[in-house]
Amino acid sequence: MNLQETGAERAFRASVRDWMQTHLRGDFAPLRHASGLGAPGYEAALAKRWEQQLAAGGWTGLGWPRQHGGRELPLAQQVIFHEEYVRCGGPGRLGHIGETLLAPTLMAHGTPALQARFLPGILAGQTYWAQGYSEPGAGSDLAAVRTRARIDPDTGEWVIDGQKVWTSWAHESDWIFVLARAEPGSVRHKGLVLLLVPLRQSGVTLRPIRQITGDAEFNEVFFDGARTEGALHLGAPGQGWAVAMYLLGCERGASTLGQQAHFKAELEQVVAVAKRNGAARDPVLRQRIAHAALGLQTLRSHALRTSGDDAPARAASISKYAWSNWRRALGELAVDVLGAEGDIAGDDLLSQALQRLWLVSRADTIYAGSNEIQLNLMAERALQMPR
Amino acid sequence: MDLSLSDEQQQITDSAATFLAEAAAMPAVRAASESAGGLDRALWRAMAELGWCGVHLPEAAGGLGLGLVELVLLQEQLGRRLACVPFFDSVALAATALRGLPGSPLAQDWLARLAAGQAIGALALPDGHGGAAGAAPASNPPGQPIGFSGSKVPVAQAEPGPEAMDSIAKMPPGTPPAAAAPTAVASKDGWTLQGDWPQVGSAAMADVLLLPAQAASGETLLLAVPADAPGLQVRALATLDATRRMAAVRADAVSLPAASCIGRGPALDALFTQVRQLGAIALAGEQVGVAQQCLDLTLAYAAQRSQFDRPIAGFQAVKHRCAQMLVALEGARSAVYGAACIADTAPDAATLLLYAAQARVAATEAAQFCAREAIQLHGGVGFTWEFDPHLYFRRAQASSQRLGAPPWWLEQVAAQLLDTPEEMA
Repeated sequence: MNLQETGAERAFRASVRDWMQTHLRGDFAPLRHASGLGAPGYEAALAKRWEQQLAAGGWTGLGWPRQHGGRELPLAQQVIFHEEYVRCGGPGRLGHIGETLLAPTLMAHGTPALQARFLPGILAGQTYWAQGYSEPGAGSDLAAVRTRARIDPDTGEWVIDGQKVWTSWAHESDWIFVLARAEPGSVRHKGLVLLLVPLRQSGVTLRPIRQITGDAEFNEVFFDGARTEGALHLGAPGQGWAVAMYLLGCERGASTLGQQAHFKAELEQVVAVAKRNGAARDPVLRQRIAHAALGLQTLRSHALRTSGDDAPARAASISKYAWSNWRRALGELAVDVLGAEGDIAGDDLLSQALQRLWLVSRADTIYAGSNEIQLNLMAERALQMPR
Repeated sequence: MDLSLSDEQQQITDSAATFLAEAAAMPAVRAASESAGGLDRALWRAMAELGWCGVHLPEAAGGLGLGLVELVLLQEQLGRRLACVPFFDSVALAATALRGLPGSPLAQDWLARLAAGQAIGALALPDGHGGAAGAAPASNPPGQPIGFSGSKVPVAQAEPGPEAMDSIAKMPPGTPPAAAAPTAVASKDGWTLQGDWPQVGSAAMADVLLLPAQAASGETLLLAVPADAPGLQVRALATLDATRRMAAVRADAVSLPAASCIGRGPALDALFTQVRQLGAIALAGEQVGVAQQCLDLTLAYAAQRSQFDRPIAGFQAVKHRCAQMLVALEGARSAVYGAACIADTAPDAATLLLYAAQARVAATEAAQFCAREAIQLHGGVGFTWEFDPHLYFRRAQASSQRLGAPPWWLEQVAAQLLDTPEEMA
């Protein structure tokens, strides 16, 4: 057990900082501190070029095994990278669905041919992925998916019909992984397949969803005879549920390390406003701010204690539940710190950031398995309580 | 950076759990807690033989030479069992204080005896947060005023450095006058000690009491007073948490040799701050154990209690609350292990404060939440004397008030975080 950085870890931190300072400038300057799509200055084309710049610098695939072109860095160095990246103003990562969700699933469940075809594009920041899981009738009850996939006997291709929803960044992505029903008449967890489908084709229609912030980060995705090659499935057809669940485990686990570094920046924004407008002297608000700061430190300690855990379902649900509820409370604190000014849509960038945090954080306890689903998972898997 | 337990640390946890499951089984705990003295002497002797009383103390003092992490792991197991032994007061507080007083031969002599478990020590901290409020009535802890009085007294201009916390902890203007602080007056061949320390943990079973008092010069002194010193009265108090006893201590013109003063001045103030922080982490370890046992008791009960023809463990209303207990518990455990780990690396004062506060707040919340939920989820029998949840409920509340309650710690953090000069980008 050790919470102090070793000499090697300190040197690694310095190398991240040096690289960021020499590269996040010039053309990329508008991206500094931009949290993601919808944030001022965040252009998708520029964000993709930034991903390619990161890749060229060796800052993608940090935790990936070497055999797949990764650096196989230990968890501590991945944490350090994310912390230093955010501290240096690094923007939200457009490639994270591919890098942290699909790629580990490809490594675990994909054939060598699929790995060779798709991993290099993800690693290089060339290929962007969207997630096709939820449907209008299949949210928390994901096993209720109705999107159908069948093999066209003439071409050997998969043909997909149906609808997905809440698909982040589909309009900026090249590919989508789709959970679909491959066996007609199958029910629930059986008969599913996880397909890799090109988004830019005539059988796919995107419709943006205007969300709580007014932005449109999400899409509805309509499949109407959409096609993909017969070999582009992860795991055996009919066994898609296990693969889909593996991917969700990634979503609730290690991929949140990068987010936590952003949380610190958000907390610092709350502190800055509180000092500026006097909320820092309010006896109740200062207690809440202190509580938030300690809570964030606990999230970090928890990640450092459990990310190497042998029981990922337990650790992942606990940390997902903990961080999402922490951040949602931070959003509430942010607008309370703004006070009456929180209702005014003004020009101040810091105030805008807090207002956006307040709204955006409502999604945290819903996506990637809602609070209620996480509690079910913890009770049934970690605590062995009956279904 | 890695906070998972090493093999050796896991072994300490496992062997302590196994040992205490038998040596501090609930019938023994109930018997000890209902006895006059409240001490399980057989268990205390066995722990001493295992070397636990010197777990974090240097080998030169007869300790095991391990760290706060290992002490916290023992505390966690002792908390699970509500073991009726003065481990927290004597080992985590008194011995930790004595360890910081290498210049006093008397302190080192007592330290060796405490480390061996041959003697029990009790420490009163000077501001009421050690469970001893010589300087203030218990109803008005002096550490609280900044955020709570409603007065906008800017206490923020705390000087930097280790003394900052103490100056913050002082009473602001406008606070009602406190009871007179205990005093130590220099006499011809030593000290005359006078005063009250109204609530000192484990004091009635202690062989030595470490009592702070004010010298005529105004500086703080720490006096090591043998329990049998003439003029010293130690009155056992009936406690709602009968598994950990408190006592009221009164010194009425107690004459002490000069060497009884084992620490003084700014160095002593800094030591008190440090002992409070290390003690808070140790106490948090115990609170994690309390939370864990509350969850375990609840899971066992919910699995065997049937209603509507099925175990209540199958109901979502019950499952979700057990899962929320798990979240609070595991977060607190991470906070406490991280804090103990940091404390063992001699961090700067600001860092130690943050981590101690984190452990203290997270573990207090986890213990209280889990104890409350344990009673609720046990239903009617949770309200009975016979079932155990109320014992943990009592401990959780009593512990929440020792060494400063969470709002006091949050205020220390807020001051450090918010009361610095404007530095807006």
